[in-house]
Amino acid sequence: MTRVALLCLIGFAHLAIGVAPATAHHILGRPAYNLNEDSNTPPSMQIETLIGEYMVTGMLYPAFPQPGEQGRVSFYIIGAEDSNPYEGNVIFKVRDDPWYAWLGIEGQEEILGTQRLDDSVYRQGFIFSESGAYIVSANFMDGETPYIIDFPVQVGPPSGIGPIGLTVGALAILLIGVNLVQRRRAMSGKIRTTRDTSER
Amino acid sequence: MAMIHPGLPFIWALPIFIMMAVMAFRGLWPRGPETCQPRPKRHHSLPIFGQIVDSLASRSWSLVTLKMVVVGIFCLVIATGLYGNPIPDRNFATPITWTIWWTLVVISVFLIGSAWCAVCPWNTIAKWLIDHRLWKRNLNAGRLNIRVPRILRNLWPALLLLIGLTWLELGLGVTADPRATAILALFVVVLAVASMAVFERTAFCRYFCPVGRTLGAYSQLAPVELRPVDSDVCASCTTLDCYHGTDTIDACPTHLTMGRFAQNTYCVSCGACALSCPHKNVSWRMRPMAAEAQTDARPHWDEAWFFLGLLSLTSFHGVSMLLGWQGLMGEISEFCGGGNWSIVGFSVAMAATMIIPVIAYAGCVWLIKLLGRFDGKGFRHIFADLSFSLLPMAFAYHIAHNLNHFVRESDGLGNVILNPFGAGAEPLSLLEQKMRHMEMLLPEHMLFALQSGIMVWGVWMAVRVLGYRANDLFGPGTKSRGLALAPMVLLILGVTGFNTYLLMQDMIMRM
Repeated sequence: MTRVALLCLIGFAHLAIGVAPATAHHILGRPAYNLNEDSNTPPSMQIETLIGEYMVTGMLYPAFPQPGEQGRVSFYIIGAEDSNPYEGNVIFKVRDDPWYAWLGIEGQEEILGTQRLDDSVYRQGFIFSESGAYIVSANFMDGETPYIIDFPVQVGPPSGIGPIGLTVGALAILLIGVNLVQRRRAMSGKIRTTRDTSER
Repeated sequence: MAMIHPGLPFIWALPIFIMMAVMAFRGLWPRGPETCQPRPKRHHSLPIFGQIVDSLASRSWSLVTLKMVVVGIFCLVIATGLYGNPIPDRNFATPITWTIWWTLVVISVFLIGSAWCAVCPWNTIAKWLIDHRLWKRNLNAGRLNIRVPRILRNLWPALLLLIGLTWLELGLGVTADPRATAILALFVVVLAVASMAVFERTAFCRYFCPVGRTLGAYSQLAPVELRPVDSDVCASCTTLDCYHGTDTIDACPTHLTMGRFAQNTYCVSCGACALSCPHKNVSWRMRPMAAEAQTDARPHWDEAWFFLGLLSLTSFHGVSMLLGWQGLMGEISEFCGGGNWSIVGFSVAMAATMIIPVIAYAGCVWLIKLLGRFDGKGFRHIFADLSFSLLPMAFAYHIAHNLNHFVRESDGLGNVILNPFGAGAEPLSLLEQKMRHMEMLLPEHMLFALQSGIMVWGVWMAVRVLGYRANDLFGPGTKSRGLALAPMVLLILGVTGFNTYLLMQDMIMRM
């Protein structure tokens, strides 16, 4: 009986495998381009966006690279309507991404490299020597239309002094400063009162 | 890909156009001065409402509890903004700040005036940090109590900060950046604390806060006010506890004396006057909408500019969400070479858009001065006096525009409340974006009806306020006021027409 059940199970499994399309290079329904011989962990940083006439999927490997560690971003760019891959060159650039970047103050941009389509994917390797927040951008042209896709990369641990630290620091300096001025005022008042009393 | 909100259909815009035609006839028809005086009604005459308000206003703990809740939410916004998921739709900070709070706080003026200021977390945190007390007054608090320099004792700082806030919102896209939202909130906390530590009372609320002054300006149209119950009691009062405070209750944070209090512009609705008055002579009460803008409020040059700024900025919000504007910004950015020059291009376009209403209004005032006979009243006086009629237009469009955001973009709020940090959440898929777009808080026709109704109210109220304000300019019994006021009536119709046109256009979804 057990053998019959096992055979039935194998038969169903075989049928199921036969019906399902081959998805050997897909993990959780998404292409996992960064899988290599060193790891079978899918990238945990991923963006997916529709920009202009293209659907762009970007991945970072590893998710949080350390200073001096080899990392890589991969971009998969296909037409939103026809799903045909974009075939031109993609220029990868990098710039600092400080916490005050939303004020429009950004660091100097450097070119990481220009990549051609390789097996439907654009891959760009990098090594950051210093910890910090960076923005890696993929730039490409479709005729006269420029496309820029930004991808945040945190290298090493995030900065200890962030907005909270700055706020607490500013408030502490302010309150201590006001307190000192007040003490000085009180002291001056006491001295003046004492002087007035002694003069009488 | 941006989702597009459909604009107000013509059939719903029709009542606005009909009301514009009626008000054109009413405004331009030669007639005498307005005589009907609004009569404020005490809130006690209303069932339930009056007792609830009295109960809340007479107990400090109720307000402190509300403040603590609001500060708790504020801290969550800071925490999620700084440490949560950077995707704006998945983080608590962005939808709660820009879709819920920033839209509802303006709508709330329509019902409860500037009551938000009473629980504002910026002022509450500043007071807690400096006074080291939850609510009681601390006479030995660490404040320098320096008087605000004369040059800053007006609404210009608040107007500049409001323009700056709009620039950050629409130019730098703070609304779509949780981290920037949190940093902006923290920055205002520092400003509020610094202002309270250095200057006397709460100078930040009175002179600098762009949100508070916006609510203060709009609350001149609100149907509620905090006023003396009996003016004679105030006239005979010698202690002025409402102004000076008591040992345990704060003095009026914005230097207002209840006996001479006639304008909500600077009132922060904290209720300290109601608590400190030994005669229990201060109370919330109902009044006809816009009664204050019509008759009670005194014209001031800086306030007039603030109203004009509100009108410009509210319309600019609508303009900036048009498809055409997005295309223009793209072309400017391309022309400038992208990068940091794009924001310069946006700033120039924003300044150019904002200056048009200023030129139009100044031109109207100049024409009115030419057409009318005014006894020694100069350009500045007419400019300040008639500016009250700009308020209902700005307020009506502000609410109609905000309603669109609130009703169409609030879907998904439950997800960010359940997962405020957006842990493990991914960007909205196209399907989710479309679902959010389709699932509205109210049926679409109800939204259109509300937008149309508020715009009808706006144009009606603007012409009404203009009529009352003209009483101050023209002598009694002047027959030619209809002709002399024609430029202003035409401006009201023009602005309402333009704002209605904006509402009728497809609008880009913010998040």
